[in-house]
Amino acid sequence: MRTYAMNEITLMQYILLVHGAQVGTGILSLPRQLAETSGTDGWMCIIIAWAINCLAGTLMLLSARKYPDFTIIDLFNYLFGKWFGKLLIFPLICYFGFFGIDIMTNTMLYIKAWFLPKTPEYVIILLFAIPSFLIVRNGLRIQARYVVLSFFMMLWMPFFLLFSMDSWNVLHLLPLFKEGWGPVIQGVPKTIFAYTGIEVVFFIYPFLQKKQYAIHGFLIGNSLTMLYYLYVTLVSFLFFTPDGITSVNQPVLSLLKNIEFRFLERFDMIFLSLYLFVVSKCWMIFIYCTVYSTSRLLNKQDHTSHAALYFLLAIAVIYVVKPTWNIADEWQTTLSYLGTVVLYVLPVGLYLYIRGFERFHRVKTR
Amino acid sequence: MRKILPLLLSLTLISFTTGCMDRIIIEEVSLALLVGIDLDEKNNLVLSISSPVFSEEAKVKEEVYITKAYTLRESREEVDKTFLALTTGGKTQAVLIGKRVMEHQGWFKLLEPFLRDAKNTVNARIVMVDGIAHQIITLQPKDKPRLSLYLAKLIDKDNLRNMNVKITLEDLRRDNYENGITASVTELRKDGKILVTGTALLDELGRYKLSIGPDENKLLHILQNNIKGEFSFTFRDANRPKGEIFPDDAYSFSAGSISVKTKTGYQDDKFTFDIAVDMRVALTERFFPLDILKEGDKLEREMEREFEKRFKKFIGKIQAAKIDPIGLGIHARAYQYDHYKPVQNKWGEALSKADVNVKVKTVITSMGTTK
Repeated sequence: MRTYAMNEITLMQYILLVHGAQVGTGILSLPRQLAETSGTDGWMCIIIAWAINCLAGTLMLLSARKYPDFTIIDLFNYLFGKWFGKLLIFPLICYFGFFGIDIMTNTMLYIKAWFLPKTPEYVIILLFAIPSFLIVRNGLRIQARYVVLSFFMMLWMPFFLLFSMDSWNVLHLLPLFKEGWGPVIQGVPKTIFAYTGIEVVFFIYPFLQKKQYAIHGFLIGNSLTMLYYLYVTLVSFLFFTPDGITSVNQPVLSLLKNIEFRFLERFDMIFLSLYLFVVSKCWMIFIYCTVYSTSRLLNKQDHTSHAALYFLLAIAVIYVVKPTWNIADEWQTTLSYLGTVVLYVLPVGLYLYIRGFERFHRVKTR
Repeated sequence: MRKILPLLLSLTLISFTTGCMDRIIIEEVSLALLVGIDLDEKNNLVLSISSPVFSEEAKVKEEVYITKAYTLRESREEVDKTFLALTTGGKTQAVLIGKRVMEHQGWFKLLEPFLRDAKNTVNARIVMVDGIAHQIITLQPKDKPRLSLYLAKLIDKDNLRNMNVKITLEDLRRDNYENGITASVTELRKDGKILVTGTALLDELGRYKLSIGPDENKLLHILQNNIKGEFSFTFRDANRPKGEIFPDDAYSFSAGSISVKTKTGYQDDKFTFDIAVDMRVALTERFFPLDILKEGDKLEREMEREFEKRFKKFIGKIQAAKIDPIGLGIHARAYQYDHYKPVQNKWGEALSKADVNVKVKTVITSMGTTK
């Protein structure tokens, strides 16, 4: 049964979808958060977390591989029965929906703080919502194309950080393992929010054309993210002094403020507005997964109305809540906890359940 | 319906994006290009702001406002009372701070709005004025371009020749939060016209400690391994007669490539820093006869001796003041972390007890076109 023929994605699109779902707003404050817990050894946390995430993602794909044409909704239906399955999948969909709003909110707060302090929150969200809706209402293939396009368009961005090279000092990184392994391990949970996004493989796996490369593709995508984070964190650590980096909220943005050209003094403004392309990939995938799932739950083929509803709801929520930095911070902490469950507990649980389930079935059919 | 939906939505989008609620018209903004901070005799804060006037009718192209205020942010409202337009700090070129302000602990707080408000720039040059800052801001030199641009250029140009440090607000913040280094800022003086006199060194709490001139500033840059631009020195050869009217003992050279290696150690309860400076120099001026082919190495040794003497004097100065503008603390943390950690909050004192040895090696690479 191949109901996704119209929306199959290539391996490249699959890799960039995974990568795109991971890289969002987390990266802007990641260096500071790592420095707070682990000092200058914080960058090592990124590598450790990467290894853990590779394992978690592989486990997700090993579970999904047994049922190659099932989306996670079909899978839950099959494994847990029609009603119980729906009941179990519901929190996961809420998580995805919440994640979408949270990334939009974070981005909105950046935009508000850096360019549009007087514009109301919901207007900025409305501006995000319109183009996002036009993409999200389409099938996964369109999402994938958007992700690939914006990935290649924005490929130059990391290189601009090199303009700060004049003020780098390698001595800031020394000595390695300043306080031993303890702080390095403690910093690992801080990276969870930045690394979340690999859970989308549950949703996009059935659409992949060449399923035999699913694990490879995932590992490439995840490694791409790791390199990206490692690079940005190292640049921030080299630029800011070990004692000073914790005094800035978003080291990456503060670093960009220092880059000046003869013809353009405030390059950070342009950078941040173009960075919207990168972040938008992230929220669009999460929102797509949400509305696709809800429409599947209600047995609807077209998810346009759900997408419209989602964005209207998002604007309404922002209008009512009027998020501040503190609220966004709380949301992010909550999502980090939920993310731990989705990223690590869920794959392990699901994998073990499927093993048991199959053995049980085999016994029954025998 | 499905076809016109994207069109309709795009139109909505366009109608919303025409500036949102934050549109700024350039004629209605006054850019605070120079900001001055002073303390008067009664220790009241005096703030001054200079901004360009975008009007054909105005004769003077700059408006200056001086006010007593509690904070910088508050002074902005005071200024808006008389200025043509609303003041913003997005393009500030330099912040001039009076010496009296810098002598007090905690003045760094005053720069808060620049660091907190994302719209403000962090690339403003920080300058200490030996005297009163608003006396410089109110100057309108006739033979120079706009004061703000002129000051910015002056500082950058002199920095290229390593006569003073160029410290932006971001640099100052980094130095301020870092235990292993103390801040240093450009120093200016008004003496009829504006003079860049060198660099002012601050202590760990940000208080002004001492001033160094262009010559010592070059040494500072070498020790920091901040080798950019031109390093030219004029020395006097101690072994030669002075000369009557015109000097007979002077020679000048510029260092082409300089390599600096700092070794950090810990012995007998104190830190030791062995700094090896390797220079390749080109002679630019010489007032006494010398056969470089035969006696070149004699001159090289003489240069080394003079350099080491100067380094020693400079280091003695900063050790006596218990400051570390070089950033040796960063080396200490990187290589002697176990010993550095207990003293990191009083690094200046630890450094004052440390052994700092500078070894210089020079090679004359060219004598110029005259033999």
